Amino acid sequence: MISGLTPLAVTSVTTSVALTVSMGLVLVAMIVWLARVEDIRSYVPASDIGGGAGQTEYGHEEKPGGITRWLTTVDHKDIGVLYGVYSVITLAWGGLSVLIMRTELLDPPATLIQSTTYNALLTSHGITLLFLFGTPILAAFANYFVPLLIGADDMAFPRINSIAFWLLPPGALLIWAGFFIPGIAPSQTSWTMYTPLSIQQPSPAVDLMLLGLHLTGVSATMGAINFIATIFTERAEEVDWANLDIFSWTVLTQSGLILFSFPLLGSALVMLLLDRNFGTTFFTVGGGGPLLWQNLFWFFGHPEVYIIVLPPMGLISIILPKFSGRKLFGFKFVVYSTLAIGVLSFGVWAHHMFATGMDPRLRASFMAVTLAIAVPSAVKTFNWMTTMWNGRLRLTAPMLFCIGFVSLFIIGGVTGVFLASIPVDLVLTDTYYVVGHFHFILMAILTAVFAGVYYWFPLYTGKWYQRGLAKWHFWLFMIGSNLTFFAMILLGYAGMPRRYATYNVDIGPVAQFTDLHQVATLGAYLIGLSGIIFLWNIVQSWLEGPPVQSSDPWELAEDGLLTNEWQWFDHQRETAITDGGAESEETDTDTDDNSEETA
Amino acid sequence: MNRVKQLLLGLGFAVIGMSIVALPVAAAGYDSTTEALIQSLNLKLLYVAVPITILVEGILIYTVWRFRNNDDPKPTKENRRLEITWTVATAIILLFVGVASYQVLALPAVTATPQVTDSEQANATEVTVVGQQFLWTFKYPEENVTSRGTLVLPANRTVYLNITSRDVIHSVHIPELGLKQDAVPGQYNLLRTTPTSQGTYQLYCAEYCGVGHSQMTATVKVVSYDEYQQWLEDQKQSQ
Ligand code: HEM
Ligand SMILES: [Cu+2]
Ligand SMILES: [Cu+2]
Repeated sequence: MISGLTPLAVTSVTTSVALTVSMGLVLVAMIVWLARVEDIRSYVPASDIGGGAGQTEYGHEEKPGGITRWLTTVDHKDIGVLYGVYSVITLAWGGLSVLIMRTELLDPPATLIQSTTYNALLTSHGITLLFLFGTPILAAFANYFVPLLIGADDMAFPRINSIAFWLLPPGALLIWAGFFIPGIAPSQTSWTMYTPLSIQQPSPAVDLMLLGLHLTGVSATMGAINFIATIFTERAEEVDWANLDIFSWTVLTQSGLILFSFPLLGSALVMLLLDRNFGTTFFTVGGGGPLLWQNLFWFFGHPEVYIIVLPPMGLISIILPKFSGRKLFGFKFVVYSTLAIGVLSFGVWAHHMFATGMDPRLRASFMAVTLAIAVPSAVKTFNWMTTMWNGRLRLTAPMLFCIGFVSLFIIGGVTGVFLASIPVDLVLTDTYYVVGHFHFILMAILTAVFAGVYYWFPLYTGKWYQRGLAKWHFWLFMIGSNLTFFAMILLGYAGMPRRYATYNVDIGPVAQFTDLHQVATLGAYLIGLSGIIFLWNIVQSWLEGPPVQSSDPWELAEDGLLTNEWQWFDHQRETAITDGGAESEETDTDTDDNSEETA
Repeated sequence: MNRVKQLLLGLGFAVIGMSIVALPVAAAGYDSTTEALIQSLNLKLLYVAVPITILVEGILIYTVWRFRNNDDPKPTKENRRLEITWTVATAIILLFVGVASYQVLALPAVTATPQVTDSEQANATEVTVVGQQFLWTFKYPEENVTSRGTLVLPANRTVYLNITSRDVIHSVHIPELGLKQDAVPGQYNLLRTTPTSQGTYQLYCAEYCGVGHSQMTATVKVVSYDEYQQWLEDQKQSQ
């Protein structure tokens, strides 16, 4: 595209430059507009938090009503809900795109969709779920609960918090632009965007995607700074480092990882944009070389996988003990292992590059650190299991998902160790085995998210979800995940490469591939079905579910496990009752007794 | 405690049974020195990992089953010694993985280095493998032969594959011979192996390289040395 400038290439260069610049301008304009919206400037954060501290003079009536409230809010809880709703939408697209791909893979040739479409969906699926779902859904929990858990009034910088969120919707639109702007092909770079392929693809959708990614990176970085500042400076007096809760610890570590890795991704993305549009040679052969991109990308990319797994580990560490009727076993060791993972995760990136022909001695040292990082992961697992041992397990929906997390995480971790072994990695890398490995962990992350959604459902909605549906959700999800990703592990052992739109090869074991792909697709449908049940349950229960009757809906007090956020909830309910239901929740008189739920 | 032991024993047997059934890879026999080395390492790891996984999952399920709705919960008591024990135990297992892997890794059939003795070089077959969207080309520099889409190799001789690309990154992936190496433009990556059984194998492109990625396959034929010579002659004739 740079050397031999054919007329076609020239037009495509100019269109993509023009699009890039104009999108950039639109974004700047949006930020300026957002910053100028009157409400944001004059808005006093409704600091109705404080739990035991109890300083709640600001009522809810300060919040503007309807849509304006949601567009202008700087309340951390509202922003948490916004993150949550956004993530559900992105999760839906990520799930839908992969269901189309899985359907295509039911048979070896391209029958349903063309390879170009397959590759576009592949790219969108990965990027959407990692950047538009994975990081934001965790921000949803962190926004809502970190201030409550540490007894802060709000985040340290409520407005930055709001801006960080509002960068995400334009980010998503840019990333998905190729699918709805007529006349341009969606980006087909895969989520890793390896050069020179990503430089070579002419569609301006790639530039838009890079800009969108850049925005989400800025958003994540702003969020991270905010969490660090909040946890350092906004803790209530009685919360010190020794009794900081485990979820906040993981969010703090995660924010540190974001701070050191996302800006690097941002720079690398800009360099890639320059390579694409202005003929620079950062990542071209003869310039910086194609492997420079991989080094930069994975220096970000490996910490990214821990960015999305640490807070879920925190969720498990906080929820699992509640339904075991006892405190987390080895609290200190769980915190240490979190910090250890945080540090080590910057020393393993080259394990994604074992087959690139890198220096063999360097390779061995990356193997060593990769094996080392499995130790703190295993320590956490053992601590969770020991927490359950000798406890009083209540198999509620959140607890089931916690157990599901542990069970999926074990398989994800063990399969990871095989990949750390370089000789074994050499046959398995870039096959379905890798896809199986990381999806076991990604599915574990999803179970932690579901555990969190169900656990705090009474707190943020004041309602109960439907217990039966939640169990259906759980079992379908677990069976589906194991079917799909175990089949992928076997596909990988049989040699099936990843990112294949078709597999009608001449010599390879096509029959075996077909069978395993069909099992994987069946599992994916089950996961999809579980997702629909989940969505229905949440929406329906939020609107019509029976109201919660107690401010300790999980009966945690008797085990001495009532944490700050429930004290806040208690306070919240009291205020709501005294000033006549400011939460505008019609208090149902025909009370369904839901104490069963906790049994 | 007895019940636990029985359970564990049962699980242990189940594991061994399963690994024998579930591992056709192991039974198939090896088709190259590289595959033999890597797959026996893999098998060794599996023999450790599969029982551990099933054991841990088993304990998890047992814990849930045993302590659900337990009337007599005990408060959490910290236990430093237990923490240190499992940290060290995990570290030892991973050390085993590291050492076992390193021993295999250091062998030339797994990590080929350009420095080889002349005598080794003399008997070896060298092929330059070039990836280009979406086709593989195999050049035999000593013979002045170029083949597209088919790689022919003599059995039981050392083979060097010099791998590169003309455009984007591809990857040579011949699972049945245990071979994988990226084809990176501007760089030559070396693979060394000795195919040990004659047959036809699938070569895939394993690095995503664009729209034709999943069609970028080639055929690998391992034949006797005589057949190989014959094939080279035929190629020279037709070129
Ligand atoms: C027990 C600890 C773990 C070890 C030893 C481990 C090891 C590895 C290795 C060596 C690879 C590279 C495979 C290859 O491309 O050839 C890999 C890939 C991957 N791992 Fe893990 N892993 C571990 C835990 C995790 C965790 C916690 C996550 C979190 C989500 C994760 C997510 C991923 C992802 C997303 C990839 C694939 C990236 C890609 O190529 O697209 N892994 N893992
Ligand atoms: Cu990694
Ligand atoms: Cu390819």
